Amino acid sequence: MIPLEAVEDPQKLIEAYYDAGWTDGLPVVPPTDASVEAMLAAGGFRGDEVIGEIAGRNQVVVADKVAINAVMAGCKPEYLPVVVAALKGLCHPDFAYHGPASSTGGSAMVLIVNGPIVRALGVNSGNNAFGQGHRPNATIGRAVRLVMMNAMNTRPGFLDRATLGNPGKYAFCFAEHEDDHPWEPLHVSRGLRAEDSAVTVYASNSLYQVYNQLAAAPEPLLRCFADALSNLGVPNMKGFNQSLLVLAGEHTEIMRTSGWSRRRVQEFLIEHTRRTVADFKRAARLPGEVEPADATTWRRLFERPEDILIVCAGGRAGSWSACLPGWGNKWTRAITTVIAGGPEMAPRPPVARAAPAKP
Amino acid sequence: MKLFDPTSKPVERAVEIAPRPASLKGLRLGLVDNTKFNSDTLLHKLAARLATRHGITVALTSRKRSPSHEIDEAAVKTLRAQADLVVSGIGD
Repeated sequence: MIPLEAVEDPQKLIEAYYDAGWTDGLPVVPPTDASVEAMLAAGGFRGDEVIGEIAGRNQVVVADKVAINAVMAGCKPEYLPVVVAALKGLCHPDFAYHGPASSTGGSAMVLIVNGPIVRALGVNSGNNAFGQGHRPNATIGRAVRLVMMNAMNTRPGFLDRATLGNPGKYAFCFAEHEDDHPWEPLHVSRGLRAEDSAVTVYASNSLYQVYNQLAAAPEPLLRCFADALSNLGVPNMKGFNQSLLVLAGEHTEIMRTSGWSRRRVQEFLIEHTRRTVADFKRAARLPGEVEPADATTWRRLFERPEDILIVCAGGRAGSWSACLPGWGNKWTRAITTVIAGGPEMAPRPPVARAAPAKP
Repeated sequence: MKLFDPTSKPVERAVEIAPRPASLKGLRLGLVDNTKFNSDTLLHKLAARLATRHGITVALTSRKRSPSHEIDEAAVKTLRAQADLVVSGIGD
């Protein structure tokens, strides 16, 4: 804590945080002793408790700094377990934080919340799931980014070298819509129990929406996803990224009534998300002159079903879904972490999973 | 009222720098390929030039899991045992 002469005007206090370089560009909520203590108490943390470590940066993430940043972001105390679980995911060795955090690719850290805590906290999974207007979504995502900036040495222009960045770097948190889901929810597909609450962290390049109002079956709809994921500028072609698909609205219903399994959807996308070597060479994504055989030589963008993450979110109306290509080929993997100590849940040791326990 | 500092600095750790060799002549070279695109090409061209100018030999090449991941301890141990000089650090 930095002692400061008495500041009576809240606006001056907010400006002081700007002047110190501690904000994301938006005004922060100035912490107090009471608000920081309440934040720590809600998570059951001691101030000096180590949440995680980024070994390559010699950076240790400690609970009191997480609590301060969470207050600044506007979190309610009961949100802290979600913030902490997300940070544990970022610190997992398989997430390989340094790459996605510092890359010119400028990935957003997408947080997908599952389980009973979604309802308990009111994390939005419905209309405008990626958009504004819901405090848990906005402030949990923002808290994670503030911790990254302030306590994980990830400042723009220094160890955050994003060429453009993307708006999701302010905050990108949503819940999966688990009702009327075509399949098991994401965290269950990754080996956890339905009654667990969990957050999945995923390094994503910018999202784009996929529109199709005529498709009434999975095949034509999934061809749109395959096409979107294999555009010539996509980073995936450098070698088997993960990618995230968010099924929304009427597209979710098409999948639910079709009887297709999650695995069948993933396998269809592996088969159809491809471009010819000739396409890539003409776009200078591969070196060399186009040879006759290149027109019939295909390059697939996915190799493992589990690398295509599929979640359901968004409003029920509308023919929109979304693709979120992953950052970096095999250089980072989504991590799903159990949220310990959230409301209406017994405390339990956190469990992090880098890969699904079953297909 | 007071400001609450939300920042934390990296933990300072003492790092022992290996003594610099007086000459490169005849040394065993280790290469650490961080797997960035063309990093292996560039490293081996560099090694070939060092071999021509200083008579070094390439003792081993270690490939990292990815540019995002740190080099693992086993690879460091092998490099310590088999190389006098290590070259790493290739960007795009």
